[in-house]
Amino acid sequence: MSAESASAILKNQVDLLDFVDWSGVECLNQSTSHSLANALKQGYREDEGLNLESDADEQLLIYLPFTQVIKLHSIVIKGTEDEGPKTVKLFTNREHMGFSNVNDFPPSDTAELSPDNLKGSPVVLKYVKFQNVRSLTIFVEDNQSGSDVTKIQKIVLYGTTVETTDMKGLKKIEDH
Amino acid sequence: MVLEATMICIDNSEWMRNGDYSPTRFQAQTDAVNLICGAKTQSNPENTVGVMTMAGKGVRVLVTPTSDLGKILACMHGLEVGGECNLAAGIQVAQLALKHRQNKKQQQRIIVFVGSPVKYDKKVLEMIGRKLKKNSVALDIVNFGEEDEGKTEKLEALLAAVNNNDSSHIVHVPTGPNALSDVLISTPIFTGDGEGGSGFAAAAAAAAAGGVSGFDFGVDPNLDPELALALRVSMEEERARQEAAAKKAAEEAAKQEKGGEQQSTSQDATMTENVSAAAPEAENKTSDLMDDENALLQQALAMSMDGPAASLAVRDTDMSEAAADDQDLALALQLSVQDSTKDQGSETDMSKLLADQSFVSSILASLPGVDPNDPSVKDLLASMQSQPEASSDQKKDEDKAPNEEEKK
Repeated sequence: MSAESASAILKNQVDLLDFVDWSGVECLNQSTSHSLANALKQGYREDEGLNLESDADEQLLIYLPFTQVIKLHSIVIKGTEDEGPKTVKLFTNREHMGFSNVNDFPPSDTAELSPDNLKGSPVVLKYVKFQNVRSLTIFVEDNQSGSDVTKIQKIVLYGTTVETTDMKGLKKIEDH
Repeated sequence: MVLEATMICIDNSEWMRNGDYSPTRFQAQTDAVNLICGAKTQSNPENTVGVMTMAGKGVRVLVTPTSDLGKILACMHGLEVGGECNLAAGIQVAQLALKHRQNKKQQQRIIVFVGSPVKYDKKVLEMIGRKLKKNSVALDIVNFGEEDEGKTEKLEALLAAVNNNDSSHIVHVPTGPNALSDVLISTPIFTGDGEGGSGFAAAAAAAAAGGVSGFDFGVDPNLDPELALALRVSMEEERARQEAAAKKAAEEAAKQEKGGEQQSTSQDATMTENVSAAAPEAENKTSDLMDDENALLQQALAMSMDGPAASLAVRDTDMSEAAADDQDLALALQLSVQDSTKDQGSETDMSKLLADQSFVSSILASLPGVDPNDPSVKDLLASMQSQPEASSDQKKDEDKAPNEEEKK
C-alpha cells in the first residue's frame, strides 16, 4: 500500500492508547529498567532515549487488553535500525500466551518491518482480521541485525472502536 | 503479600537417606516443605503451592498448585526415598505446571531442594535459567546435602541466569545441629523478598527459638491486631493504676483515717441508690478536692489523657482503701468496679463543681477529641446540672472518654 493512501485512511483512525486496559498489560522478557511503559505511554514513547528492551534473548511477547472492542487498522513500531524488531506477529483475543505456544496457532497477521517502518511509517494490517479485537498480543520474533537485545522505542496502534464510532471522523473519508 | 503460585521440587533420591541432617536429610526436607507451604498460604490466602518429586520413580507432580494446605501436607505423607534426581527435567516440569495454573495473575515461583550431586553441565543449567527468566519465573534454590565439586558453582550460575531484579535466591545450608527448616526461616525464601510473610516467619522463629518473640506481648500485630491492641491497652491501664495507687496511697493515708467511718456509711447509702456508682470515689474526691482541688484535677486529667480507663484506676484505689472498714461494702465495691467501665454514676457533690459551666467548658476545651460546641456535649452539661441521676442513663449512651473526664 502506498504511503499516501495509508495516511488518508489513518485520518479516521484514532490512537488506541486511550482504550488500553493498563491493569492487564503484560510483557514477557522485558528488561526491568527498560520496560513496556517506555514504548507505550504518552510522553515516554516520544522520548527517543527511552526504549523497551528485551532481556534474556531477542524475543518479546507483549499482551495488551483493551477496555472495549476495537478494530485495529494499522500499527507503528519505531526502533533503531539494527536493534529494532524485524518479524512481528500479531494475535488477537488470545489471553496469556507464552513463548512456548506462539507457534501453536497462526497469527492474525505477520509484519516484516523495514527500516522505513522503524522510522515511523505505519504498517497497515489486514483489517478484516482485526474487526473484533478485545486483546492484542504482539510477538517480536527477531530483530534487524540478529543481536541479543531488541529495542523498541515506540508502539502506536491505530484503529476505531466498535461501539463508539466518531461520526465526525467518518465524514473525512475521501478516497478509499 | 505478593500473589504467587509456587511449585516445590523435592529431592527424594537415595542421597536423602543420609543422617547428617537430623533425623534424615529427607525428613529435614519434608519439615522445611511443610513450613514453606504454611508460610506461603498465610502471607496471601490466594497463594497456591504445588509439590513434585524429582527422583523416585521419576519426575512426578504430586499435587498441582492449590491453596488447600491439607491436601499438600497429605501428599507429603508416605513419600519414599530412592532413585536419582533429575534436576533439569524437574525444573522444566515445574515450569509447565505453573504455566497451567488457574489464576494467571499469580507470579510464578519454583523452589527446588538440591541435595544430591548435580550431573548437568553449567551450560544446560544456564539455558534452563534463561528460559525461566524469559517466562518471568522466579527460582529459589536450597543447596544442602552432598557437597559435590562444582555443585555450588553450577547452582550459582543457574541463579545468575534466572535472577531478575533479585527475585530469585539461593541458600546454602551446611550440615550441623540446626535443622534445615530453622535455617530457612530467616532467609528470603521464607520472608518472601523481605516484605510479606514476616508475621508467620517471626512466629515460627519464636517457636523455634523457644524464647520471646520480637513483639511486645508475644502476639503479632499483623496476625491479630485486635488482641495486640487489647493487650497494649490493658497494660497501660495496669501501669496507670499502679502509678495512681502509689500516689493516692501517699496522699490519702492521713485523710482516709479521718473521714473513713463517715464516708463508708455515706457510701453505703449511695451504693444502694446506684449500683454502678462511682459515688464513693466521688465522695472521697470531693472531700479531697476541697483541699487540693486543682492539683488533683490536673493529675486526674493527665492520667485520663493516657488511657480512658485511668480514671477507673483512680476509683479502684479509693474504693479499696475505703472498703477496708467494711467487708460487705468491700464486696459491693468489687461488683461496682466490674461494672464501672460503663460507669456513669451519680455525682451528688460533683454536680456542684460541674454546675460551674465555665469551669467545665474550659476542661472540655483542653481535652483532645472533645468539642465543647458539640450539641451532645452541651445537652450533657445541661442535664447534668439539673438531674445528676437521670443523666447517668443519658451519659451511658454518650462517648465514654469525655464523660469520665467531666467527672473529675
